[in-house]
Amino acid sequence: MIACRDFRAELTANANDPKLLEHVRACDSCLDYAASFDPDIVFRAIGGGDLVPPGGVDAFVDDVMRQVRVRAAANVVSVPNRWTWRRLSAAAAIAAGVTGAALVYQHDRTIVPAAVLNPRPVAAANLTTKPVVETYESEKATIVEVPTADTGSAQVVMIFDDALPSDL
Amino acid sequence: MIPTKESVEPDDRQLVETIRGGDADAFELLVRRKTSKVYALCYRIIGNAEDAKDISQLVFLKLWENLEKYDPQYAFDTWLYRMVTNVAIDFMRNRQSRENAVNSNLRLVKTSADPEQGVIVQRKEIEAVFQEVSAGLSPKQKTIFVMNQMNDMPSAEIAKVLGCRESTVRNHLFNARKTMQQQLEKRFPEYARLWRRR
Repeated sequence: MIACRDFRAELTANANDPKLLEHVRACDSCLDYAASFDPDIVFRAIGGGDLVPPGGVDAFVDDVMRQVRVRAAANVVSVPNRWTWRRLSAAAAIAAGVTGAALVYQHDRTIVPAAVLNPRPVAAANLTTKPVVETYESEKATIVEVPTADTGSAQVVMIFDDALPSDL
Repeated sequence: MIPTKESVEPDDRQLVETIRGGDADAFELLVRRKTSKVYALCYRIIGNAEDAKDISQLVFLKLWENLEKYDPQYAFDTWLYRMVTNVAIDFMRNRQSRENAVNSNLRLVKTSADPEQGVIVQRKEIEAVFQEVSAGLSPKQKTIFVMNQMNDMPSAEIAKVLGCRESTVRNHLFNARKTMQQQLEKRFPEYARLWRRR
């Protein structure tokens, strides 16, 4: 380290010379002297030397290594689980999507009037709910029988009678 | 592979290669080698011993997790300091440790005013004044100031650490000095007068 006299002789504002910095970081009287030139150098005097953490280096290193081991172990255990959960959640998401889409599709089908989509089956369904007329006798009724082409027997019968219920 | 005491200690890059090969003992050696430097930088940026210790430990854990990303063509310390500054700056931004630092330093300044106390206290007092007047700096400004003025790192190296341009570093330094001088006049006029008188 340079002598105090040399330090004071060489000191200029914003001194960056490593020799000067080394001196001012060790010598209090020269620190006071230097401060009268440039307050900045006072903070430079703090220096960037190594410091020991509270509890000492050994305890610090032990703490770090313990946490490293814990994390390493946690990673070994959790990696397969994490992938399993990811796969499961992806599968659940896909299943939910498919189910939802199917429900929406079904819902759309039910709210559309059936007659618009396919009027013939609906008409046929309505006919099947009505009672089949085996025999009918009435003097006021008009009965029309329409023979079918293949069998020749009467398959379609139309009855016009004011006395019949309206939904027959 | 941990070298014996007789053999030459491996440099940082060699040590990293050994760790990448799965040697946890080599990592312990690296932590032991870098602890004092990392802690000192954290302490000077954060200004609180316990917080600095926690942050230093966090830095080493991040180092362990990201060691695969280290490119050996760059200096290991540059990469390490980048990690330190990132974590420390994040900490200062997130937890507003600036206010904590101011409070703790006020206490230090008051207790160290006794002129009978020795050299160490005087040095501590300077550190306390520094933490006080640097409380007005942004985390990045303070980090740059510490690296340049205390660790004697040139602005080009700081620029590499922070991943910015050298002119940006110089700009931050200029503004940091200006702010700190203003703070010194405002908060410690007796110090400023004292220094000027001498």
